[in-house]
Amino acid sequence: MTAALPWSAAWRIARRDLSARFRGLRLLLVCLFLGTGALAAIGTLTASIERELAGRGAAILGGDIEAEVWQRGATAAESKALAALGTLSAGTRLQAMASAGEADAPVALKAVDQNWPMIGALKLKDGTRVRAPPPGGVWLAEGAAERLGVAPGGAIRIGSQTLKVAGIVAEEPDSLSEGFALGAVAIVRSDFPASAGLMAPGSMYRTKLRVLLRPGTEPKAAIERLKAAFPDAGFRYRTRDKAAPGAERFIENMGQFLVLVGLAALAIAGIGIGGGVSSYLEARRGSIATFKVLGATSGDIARIYLLQIAAAALAGSLAGLTAGVLITPLLASALGTLLPVQTGFVFEPGALARAALFGLLVALVFAAPPLLRAKLYPAMALMRARVSPLAPAWRAMAIPVGLGVAGIVALALVTAADWRLTAGFLGGAAALLGLLAALGWAISRGAARLPRPANPLLRIALSYLHRPGAQTGALVTALGFGLSAFVLLAAIETSLSANIAKRIPARAPDYFVLDVPRARAAEFVAAVRETVPGADVRTVPAMRGAILAYGPPQQMTWVADLKALPENAWALRGERGLTYSADVPEGNVVTSGKWWPQDYAGEPLVSVDEDLAKAIGLRLNDRIVISLLGVERAARISSFRRIEWDSLGFNYVLVYSPNAISDAPHNLAATIDLPAGAAKTGLLRKLVRAFPASSVIETGALLRDARALLTQMSVAILAAASVTVLAGIAVLLGAIAAARAARLYDTVILRVLGASRRQLLLLQLAEYGLLALILAGVALALGSFIGWLVMTRMFEFDWLPDWPSVLGVLGGGLAMVLGFALAGSLPLLRAKPAQALRDL
Amino acid sequence: MTSPSPAIAALNLTLTLGNGPGAVEILKGIDLAVPVGQALALLGPSGSGKSSLMAVLSGLERATSGSLSVAGENFAAMDEDALALARRGRIGIVLQAFHLLPTMTALENVATPMELAGMADAQPRARAELEAVGLGHRLSHYPAQLSGGEQQRVAIARALAPRPLLVFADEPTGNLDAATGQSVIDLLFARRAEMAASLVIVTHDAQLATRCERVITLADGRIASDTMA
Repeated sequence: MTAALPWSAAWRIARRDLSARFRGLRLLLVCLFLGTGALAAIGTLTASIERELAGRGAAILGGDIEAEVWQRGATAAESKALAALGTLSAGTRLQAMASAGEADAPVALKAVDQNWPMIGALKLKDGTRVRAPPPGGVWLAEGAAERLGVAPGGAIRIGSQTLKVAGIVAEEPDSLSEGFALGAVAIVRSDFPASAGLMAPGSMYRTKLRVLLRPGTEPKAAIERLKAAFPDAGFRYRTRDKAAPGAERFIENMGQFLVLVGLAALAIAGIGIGGGVSSYLEARRGSIATFKVLGATSGDIARIYLLQIAAAALAGSLAGLTAGVLITPLLASALGTLLPVQTGFVFEPGALARAALFGLLVALVFAAPPLLRAKLYPAMALMRARVSPLAPAWRAMAIPVGLGVAGIVALALVTAADWRLTAGFLGGAAALLGLLAALGWAISRGAARLPRPANPLLRIALSYLHRPGAQTGALVTALGFGLSAFVLLAAIETSLSANIAKRIPARAPDYFVLDVPRARAAEFVAAVRETVPGADVRTVPAMRGAILAYGPPQQMTWVADLKALPENAWALRGERGLTYSADVPEGNVVTSGKWWPQDYAGEPLVSVDEDLAKAIGLRLNDRIVISLLGVERAARISSFRRIEWDSLGFNYVLVYSPNAISDAPHNLAATIDLPAGAAKTGLLRKLVRAFPASSVIETGALLRDARALLTQMSVAILAAASVTVLAGIAVLLGAIAAARAARLYDTVILRVLGASRRQLLLLQLAEYGLLALILAGVALALGSFIGWLVMTRMFEFDWLPDWPSVLGVLGGGLAMVLGFALAGSLPLLRAKPAQALRDL
Repeated sequence: MTSPSPAIAALNLTLTLGNGPGAVEILKGIDLAVPVGQALALLGPSGSGKSSLMAVLSGLERATSGSLSVAGENFAAMDEDALALARRGRIGIVLQAFHLLPTMTALENVATPMELAGMADAQPRARAELEAVGLGHRLSHYPAQLSGGEQQRVAIARALAPRPLLVFADEPTGNLDAATGQSVIDLLFARRAEMAASLVIVTHDAQLATRCERVITLADGRIASDTMA
């Protein structure tokens, strides 16, 4: 005779007691499947993208380090210093217009030298791998070739030069690091922009200097050396570790959102798992008591049921993990071109292990209380429990449940990309659970104190909410979370649609024109008006510069010294558009301070966007130092402005007094509004011909692209959020199933006593209807609050839910709850009382 | 020659269920000694405490106070797990509602207590016991596929298969018709006689009680009479 049942014997008994079809454990399986599946898919996707970005950093950047500067080339000293670090590849990027025959298209001109690409090769559509184009040739992106109607061998014109299309680009090795561009890429030799007259003083071009470092040279050390040698060069440096910061930021934001969705799905699924485990063990209470009668110790019982739950959890988790891996390409396809890299079927063991561990830990936490009850209560008490519920063993539960919860929290925090966000989520989820538990308690207490209704059905329905062993707490938690998920999804969906409608303006300028020579401004306006009489042309000086420092004159904050940018201070990142103006720009309102007089000639002044001012704590009369064409310029803040960003025009965070920066070489940017109904015929062609160095962008295509991008983003967010709704539905089903099991005894007895099916259905309807009505209000508040957080804090969209639709969806959720409750009762009602009694 | 120690020795046993104003005193000072091999019937009206006394004596319920020695073990000092271990292989229990494990076959139901006790030959012994109670043809049937009488015979086989020192039976025929009940009782007495095990049987059937060597009648949680047949 042995004291503890060996694991093998425990498994033999567990397997016997476990139905082959996991009867009673299906809710646990479904919840684990959904929870781990969501986490696995999300973890796999983000991990594979991050690994791709990290592993291919040097290839994406096109070198180990990059120094970028606007509106000038490298000096001889700078080139020499860079070349001394390894192999140097210098190039230029600018916006340009290409034309072929009658067709015109904006292109992102990429001028490269003989060393480009230093890593990998450019792949053409015909499969050949090439480097820089031949003299007089261009590698043209497919989109531009289609728009211009040209094929390899054809000719296009950019600026004052004609180029031969030498090939169509299939894969550009460093495209990810290039950032946003208006138009498809056209790769030319490095001497082309100057020879085509595109690099006049003031033209908006960027010089990119990339270095493939000598072995043994660390990128960071190399950059430090360059910073020390050229402190005022105005270079923006990048290393292979941060090859595509824009893409990484997006992945980080999206990754955070997806992780939150995963955690939310798991939290909701966790409730389902908990409900599943509890109701399974509750249904097995008779068997547990019998095991005790037969001489099983609490340790034996724990082993037997842990093995059963582990088997179900393993099956559910494995199915979830498989689905997670299989669904990743679908998720990647929903995110589409928003993703910087393509992912197929990928296997990320770390992400999968994390998802599985989460699921198993949640299952164990919820298995502990019923198993502890089995340990603490005698066999006879367990047998009596149906009519004499056992008190929860709070003290005994504290340690195992606390340890399990601590394990879940630790795992979430250790594996979190942003532990603050995760901690915040966990805190919020715990607070919500606490809130719902308190609400459940309050409903139960409230129902107990209400006067007994005369109607017997109502009286029984009310008693279901407060009698010993009532399921009110579990139902309130499950319905609260489940219905909140419905509200959340509806609010996000309608908000996203409204944002798309709002952000893509109904009326925008018909054309944007970049790089209009300042000296030919009048000629430009005249050319437009001559072609389209009545056209509204506005021009603004356009420059680029980086904010170097800000704050009170004696305590300036240097951007280079900041470890992280303050929230919403995106304008501090790299070079930004600058302008000067004698008047307050249209669509801007001065909110504090004063605008300078028309003929102002004193100390250089600047007017700052009030959002940036708030983000970095600026006050009137503080100073801002910028680097403009490599020269530091300081100005005093004389006013703050509110900018209407939704007006699709030129909006600048920094607007200077003309005397502050107008002496720097620069061109103009222009917007053209055509009169309603005016034909565009000939305008684009005429401008491209007359101003070959300027880029003319039609807004129609731009708006279509923007709408497509936002729509795709909205689909991605909705697809991810739908996971929580799926988990929510599973929880609702589970809670109702668990409650039904608890009602079985009463329903059978009521049937025996003569209650009709209709009466019993009404009884269910009254109980769930009462709960659902109370929880609808809670779900509305909860779902809306979380939706607001996601929309405004995470994605910086506006909060614009369509309340009738949200209420409609909530109504649908309530109908579903009642439908499930009634449908769940039907098999019971169809059964003959004698049969049901035997099954009790 | 000294007399062997009794199978059961209880002194001033009490059992109270619930707390505070809702507490109910079920057993009120029971003194009892049952010699090894004796068959004892506990008689009494409903609510007299006979089933509760059986639960306490078999270690299914812990007494609130008093001393209790069963098969040489001090039950009063044991926690739930120690009581479970003490029951293994020494005490067989038959309950009115059978309490078979619904997910297991008849053979598995009978083998389980022996497997819990770590007996290597659990399966052959279970098979032999089921054949002895006339259910050799029902080995792989689940409880739901058996009649009430068959289920109770499986329960008897499960209780007796480990060859216990003591057998407890709580209203073993309560859920059966008269004829089936009679055959089940015949079986129970025959099998326990073969094993020379002590038997404590709870019943309200005076006729059945006469088959035991000793009859104790309970009333209101106390022993009202104790007679030898």
